[in-house]
Amino acid sequence: MSLIGNICSSICHQNLDGDEKNREAQRAIDASIRFPALSIIKASMVWMLVATVFGLIASIKLHTPGFLGDCSFLTYGKVEPIFWNVLVYGWLFNAGLACAVFILARLGGKPLDNSLFLTIVSAAWNTAVVVGTIGILVGDQLPYRLLEFPAYASLILFVSFLGIGLWCLLAFRARAYRSTYASQWWILAALFSFAWIYSGAQIMLVGSPAQGAFQALANAWYVENVFGLLIAPLGLATIYYLIPKTLGVTVVGYRYTNIAFWTWILCASIAGAAKLVNGPIPVWVASTGVIAAFCLIFPTTVFGIQFLSSLFKRFSAIWDSASARFLFAGALLFLTTMVFKIFGALRMSQDVVQFSVFDAGVSQLAYFGFAGLVFSGAGYFILQRLLNKEIPSSTLVDLQFWTQLMGVIVVAIGLISGGIQQGDLMNGSTADMLAVVNTMRSSYFLTSMGLSLFLIGAIASNVTFFWMLLSSRSEKEASSSLIEEAPELEYTAS
Amino acid sequence: MNRGPFIFLGVFLFLSLTWTLVINKAIQQTGNLSPAYDESQGGVLPRGIVGAAAQGKIVYQELGCIACHTQQVRVATGSDIDRGWGARQSVARDYIDDQPALIGTIRLGPDLTNVGQRRPDDQWHLLHFYNPQITSKGTNMPAFPFLFEVREIVGEASDRGLDLPEEFAVAEGYEVVPTRKAEALVAYMKSLKTDYDLEEAPKSNEAMSEELTIALENAN
Repeated sequence: MSLIGNICSSICHQNLDGDEKNREAQRAIDASIRFPALSIIKASMVWMLVATVFGLIASIKLHTPGFLGDCSFLTYGKVEPIFWNVLVYGWLFNAGLACAVFILARLGGKPLDNSLFLTIVSAAWNTAVVVGTIGILVGDQLPYRLLEFPAYASLILFVSFLGIGLWCLLAFRARAYRSTYASQWWILAALFSFAWIYSGAQIMLVGSPAQGAFQALANAWYVENVFGLLIAPLGLATIYYLIPKTLGVTVVGYRYTNIAFWTWILCASIAGAAKLVNGPIPVWVASTGVIAAFCLIFPTTVFGIQFLSSLFKRFSAIWDSASARFLFAGALLFLTTMVFKIFGALRMSQDVVQFSVFDAGVSQLAYFGFAGLVFSGAGYFILQRLLNKEIPSSTLVDLQFWTQLMGVIVVAIGLISGGIQQGDLMNGSTADMLAVVNTMRSSYFLTSMGLSLFLIGAIASNVTFFWMLLSSRSEKEASSSLIEEAPELEYTAS
Repeated sequence: MNRGPFIFLGVFLFLSLTWTLVINKAIQQTGNLSPAYDESQGGVLPRGIVGAAAQGKIVYQELGCIACHTQQVRVATGSDIDRGWGARQSVARDYIDDQPALIGTIRLGPDLTNVGQRRPDDQWHLLHFYNPQITSKGTNMPAFPFLFEVREIVGEASDRGLDLPEEFAVAEGYEVVPTRKAEALVAYMKSLKTDYDLEEAPKSNEAMSEELTIALENAN
């Protein structure tokens, strides 16, 4: 109840005595993470462009196979894994990490130390992504999805991740407020589980490889967990943090968060096995995966109720704030993604869509749509506070929002409906494979169109970011704090 | 939920639980298979990938062919058997020599489990890699011209040169010769065949009912 009281007092702005002092404290917190957070956001911005460009190249190659086809290092089989790896480890991990760092610092309520250490380990992480990408280009790729980086790159990646995890853990331990908020649980869960799943997958696939067919199982387990236990938790942490911050409302039904949290961790951790139905592994394994994937309907329902009720409480305010708009779209796309993931894992759906582009479509919806939009929105929220500057051009932000949202929707329509069509022909008939390829052509065109739109948004977002970073402060920006916000919202008792 | 170690232990417990009970359990149960031995089918099964085919497998991995091709046949659903992609379900024992395993997750092109049986011809594969439009018009498979060398014919033409149809022909006096990588990849393609039976592998529904009928007749 104290939370609601806090929120009410913060909305009404009746008494702002002492707010200036709190703002000073916040600026000290922001200052302590400014350098590493900005460098992480910078990396994520560049990776966003790189990922979209590689995605676009891969997509164009599907309908125009001759495109950039003459050099061995840009063949589809290399561009496609680069796209996914850069998307996840380059863009989304960095963007999510920036949000995590900001949230941990702000919710902890205390300036943080070791910012140089964080800068170094996150730079090492990005170096690993560059090395891995080059590794794929020169032909050292491993044939495991999202683990295509050769061993020398994944080693740097893992070691630097341990550094990042250690920093976040120390930041969490150093918090001034002992009580924690859902965002912090999600961040911790993401960090703990990534260390686990990444080392586990590397051991089962590279260190002491499991026998043939079980490598497929280990890989499917890992791929689904990258979403369920790394990117989605970071995205959810951001949503839980930003709903009260941007809209001034509490998360409706907040007290059910912990049960949703634990069921999500439990079910998501094994849902990946569902991808292997009818494959060369024991049947019960895939069945367990199908059940787990379906059980995700429980936490998803809780999230759906929480997010939608909270957002609709102040629906009009959503369009006033850039961050809230991205958040709203991201939350809706999260729920859409989960519907496709949950019902797509059922055996009757898999009979149709197995081995089609359906999965790629759902993953792109999850990564570009949910994670991408949520992190972009949070990015604007964080940047304004770290730099104490206004967003230079709201037109560019609008452009980014609409092109990226439309882009994701077009891609999802292309790949998801295309995947159903493809699966129907491929699994349900004996139509010639060439005929299947031909019916898919329009879907691939749609995907290219969607990704081109998304690329426009990515460019707009990069322009905004570097403009904001490089421009000098206006008089107003330099003289005062632009941010008038309720310090009470910084922490909540759970 | 206010303590980091609690969250850490909880997450660790849940992850370990599902991993141990499902992934690790499955690997313990059927992840240490040894090859089958059947005199009538030519000895040790599966036969393993050796020589040029093993080199070709590296090329397959390097070029990321797995981004579009699977190597597994399903019996229970889909039309894999009807398409002639295989005669029986792929089972774990088929992959025990497959390191790294190239099972694949997406089929933008056909399954390759038995491509060696379907396409026994070297020249077909070479033309297909040089430019897939020659052999499969309208496909969206990329061409791999960098696996071939276009060179001037000096003296006698190479006996390994590609026999290109007219519209794809190179300039007069030149020939297209596969590199070692292309040759190795072809050897790998031709080595891909599941031409043996394993006891545990279900065949198509029809084949199983036929076997059952025969067994019942014998019993009578």
